[in-house]
Amino acid sequence: MSFLLNCPNCGERSVNEFRFGGEVLSRPAQGSPEAAWSQYFYFRPNVAGVQQEWWNHRYGCRRWFFALRDTTSNAVRGTFWPGAQPQEETA
Amino acid sequence: MPADGKYRLPPQPGEAIDRASPVEFEFDGRQVKGFRGDTIASALYAEGTRVFSRSFKYHRPRGLLCCSGNCPNCLVTVGEEPNVRACTRPIEPGLQAQSQNAWPSLGFDVLSLLDRLHWLMPVGFYYKTLHRPKALWLLGRQLIRRVGGLGSIDINAGHEPEFSTRNLHADVAVVGGGPAGMAAALAVAEAGASVTLVDEQPALGGHLRYARRDGGVGDGENRQGNGPATGLADEVGRSADIRTLLGATVFGLYQDNLLAVLTGDGVVRLRAKHVVLATGTQESPLLFENNDLPGIMLSTAALRLASLYGVLPGRRAVVATETAEGYRTALQLLDAGIEIAAVVDCSESAGTGAAEELRDRGVAILTQHRVVKASGRGRVKGAVVAPVEGASATGTRKFRCDLLLMSGYHQPVDGLLHQMGATQPGVTLAGGVCGAEGMEEVTRQGREAGLKAAEAASTGGSSAEAAREDPAFSPDLPAGKNERTYVCFCEDVSLHDIEQAIDEGFADIQTLKRYTTVTMGPCQGKMCGRALAGICSAHSGADGVGTMGDAYTTSRPPYQPVPLAALAGRERMPMKRSPLDQVHRRLGATMVESGPWLRPHNYGSPADECAAVRERVGIIDVSTLGKMEVLGSDGPQLLDRLYTYRFSDLAVGRIRYGLMTSDNGVILDDGTVARLAEDRYFVTTTSGNADVIEEWFNWWNAGAANNAHVVNVTAAYGAVNVAGPRARETLAKLTGIDLSRRGFRYMRSVEGEVAGVPCLLLRIGFVGETGWEVHFPAEYAEYMWDAIMDAGSEFGISPFGLEAQRILRLEKGHVIVGQDTDAVSTPYDVGSDWAVRLDKDDFIGRGGLVVASDRGLWQRLVGFITQDASYPEDGTPVMSGSRPIGRVTSARLSPTMKQGFGLAWVPPEFAREGEAIEVLIGDRPVTARVTLHPVYDPEGHRLRS
Repeated sequence: MSFLLNCPNCGERSVNEFRFGGEVLSRPAQGSPEAAWSQYFYFRPNVAGVQQEWWNHRYGCRRWFFALRDTTSNAVRGTFWPGAQPQEETA
Repeated sequence: MPADGKYRLPPQPGEAIDRASPVEFEFDGRQVKGFRGDTIASALYAEGTRVFSRSFKYHRPRGLLCCSGNCPNCLVTVGEEPNVRACTRPIEPGLQAQSQNAWPSLGFDVLSLLDRLHWLMPVGFYYKTLHRPKALWLLGRQLIRRVGGLGSIDINAGHEPEFSTRNLHADVAVVGGGPAGMAAALAVAEAGASVTLVDEQPALGGHLRYARRDGGVGDGENRQGNGPATGLADEVGRSADIRTLLGATVFGLYQDNLLAVLTGDGVVRLRAKHVVLATGTQESPLLFENNDLPGIMLSTAALRLASLYGVLPGRRAVVATETAEGYRTALQLLDAGIEIAAVVDCSESAGTGAAEELRDRGVAILTQHRVVKASGRGRVKGAVVAPVEGASATGTRKFRCDLLLMSGYHQPVDGLLHQMGATQPGVTLAGGVCGAEGMEEVTRQGREAGLKAAEAASTGGSSAEAAREDPAFSPDLPAGKNERTYVCFCEDVSLHDIEQAIDEGFADIQTLKRYTTVTMGPCQGKMCGRALAGICSAHSGADGVGTMGDAYTTSRPPYQPVPLAALAGRERMPMKRSPLDQVHRRLGATMVESGPWLRPHNYGSPADECAAVRERVGIIDVSTLGKMEVLGSDGPQLLDRLYTYRFSDLAVGRIRYGLMTSDNGVILDDGTVARLAEDRYFVTTTSGNADVIEEWFNWWNAGAANNAHVVNVTAAYGAVNVAGPRARETLAKLTGIDLSRRGFRYMRSVEGEVAGVPCLLLRIGFVGETGWEVHFPAEYAEYMWDAIMDAGSEFGISPFGLEAQRILRLEKGHVIVGQDTDAVSTPYDVGSDWAVRLDKDDFIGRGGLVVASDRGLWQRLVGFITQDASYPEDGTPVMSGSRPIGRVTSARLSPTMKQGFGLAWVPPEFAREGEAIEVLIGDRPVTARVTLHPVYDPEGHRLRS
């Protein structure tokens, strides 16, 4: 992996500076059945295509943000803060 | 004519050697003399060595072929390092080199017998033979493994040289230091962008360093070694804006323009916004019978020997060429005083000025002819020349020679581009690699590429660019059996082998490659890739083979061989040292790596250190604890969400133990949480986990529109833990804070001055004694240590290290997360049910813990005590009869009981006081009994006193 990732705070940096936080998941509400928790803990869609992911700029500003990454090509379609609207950059 | 060495030419213009500095080194046990600037190969050649290695399969003698670090023919072992290319490794005094793949010597190699037995080992023979009887393969495999391979690895070799990894950045990276690359770099610098120029040779200039008749200058300037290339190199050298990496090989071009560069001391990761590939061209060998005899080399190899090292490549040469390059080579060699027996050109017209000049100087020129065979045994003695198909002339001729030069088509060096499937945006090509010829065109292209790159780097614009289209290439393959017409010099694959494989049905270049191993040797197709494509093309459509077209094999990193040691080179991650590091050194502590930290393991005797803490007072550096402040009005809610216990109801001035789990209920970390004010908490985490836990806090707080802030203050504070029956008396001498039993209770915190320094005191007890964790600004660390040591000296204070701390906490049954817990341990499993509050609202881990608590335990962490002073090693199994039922996580000798004891995972049915289990001490099963209570002060009286 050698691609660049655009940290919303620090700008474009090598992926080596970042910690990958996995796919963005929706967490079951309190009291959800065991099956829902088990799905959330242990199963991932693992899509071949664009997915929304957590990234942390570990060796930079140390902040968490979202990235839309194509898992087949590592092309990053956009990065944004949690709470903000995803914006697809035109490649 | 030869001066100095037997085959040394008089000084050549622009040569790379310094004849005033002789250098002696050793090759195969004998002393060899050369000059500074010589390579191992050039010095040996000057002394008359012509055989440099034995070939991979048939052990045929091999001489210099490319002289540029691309072919496999001169691999030697230098010191402990195998497979070093003799033609690029500079000599130095005392260097010891040895030949490879030959026994007993290069001159007489017993295994050259295999050359006679080649009919026994056709291509892919190991797939076809040795099947029956089955035992034959076992024998054959052993034999093949013994004989196969190049060089041997010395498993006792040292770690020299030590490699490290560096990161560099540039707006533009230019690969190739020839005229195109230099012009590009200068243009980038002129445009005001930063540029790094990389070349694998020790000096800039590219092919103009040795090709004196090239460059489109014709006025002889370049012949004097100070032509336009030197001018450009000087200009590059003067420019402060160009960073130049010489002797550095770019072996990989990765996504988003990351270049992997191998240098003498490690790998450089060079990230550029734009890349200019000015990698030039590479001459290809020609196909004819015995084309691997020593004395047969690429024409550029002979030029390098003559121009750079002043070495006479041969006395009488035949030049076989496919292009005009061969003529220029012949002229230059003629200038150097080498007799040219003939120039053999397979094309029709040789209408270049060089041909005219050669003819005028009496050199025989044969157009529409090719070399069909080289004669000689172990050394080239002559060339047999025949007209090409369809030529008007007939009849073969033979030329006597001791040097046969091959000047095949100059193929673009575009391996890096193809690694990215030739679709990499942000790459521009310039110079010979995209077909430019002549100094003027090459430098103009370089300049344009440089300007374009600088522009693209500033605007972020980028475009993919394709390499030059190779002209359709479908060679007339030589007639005859071609059993010794080598396509692949690395693996001894002949034209015959390849044609046979095609006949067997390997009709695709990719399967052909894998079956015959052509292009799979050390050169990775640099010598044979084009020939292979040509052969496939020539066979395309014929014999129902299908279309193999002009396809090439896939290009992948690394472009050149890279030592594993370089890839494994140190990342520059500094070890963290506590602010008390100097103190520990002064005290002669034995240091140990603990996570990212270097910490004192002991100061001489862990047993004495334990005794000091239990009987008097001890001090340990705990600056390495992760320390965070959680601030803001929503801080309490954040902590309630992250810890399994409740912290919003913690009173100011109180401390609570906190356990954190991942969302599925597995223990992540533990520590203490002190509430210093309504909106301010001081949180400690396990040493080494500070950064991860900070990330964890911020992760769950990311995007939340709340007023909770997490500040990592790990490095801001130093800390010591002062513990033992006399800890109170010790600290009381330094502070006015009421430390009395009632005035400063267990699990309380106070901010105040100690020894005049503002401190935070936490009364907690990891080691099970009365004690305080004292946190202070890191700048005061040494002062604080000395002050406390002074105050405690009358009570017999002693520093204690990690080992003593581990023993003491083990006696208290305190768990170390990561040591005693693993990736499935829940708080219930370690008996910390009390730290989980399922009655509070949703928190991280609640879902998993509800599931875990419903499911019940399937393992439990318990204490155990052996019957004597012996104890098992950490990580060894717990047995019941002959069945493993669990494992020991920590075990030591208890100074209190003088018995072995520890913590272990066992099934719940064994988690009963006094239950017998077996632990392994060495190989011996020993009975131990389970305990569910700390072995020291189980009621915690000493802790609270």
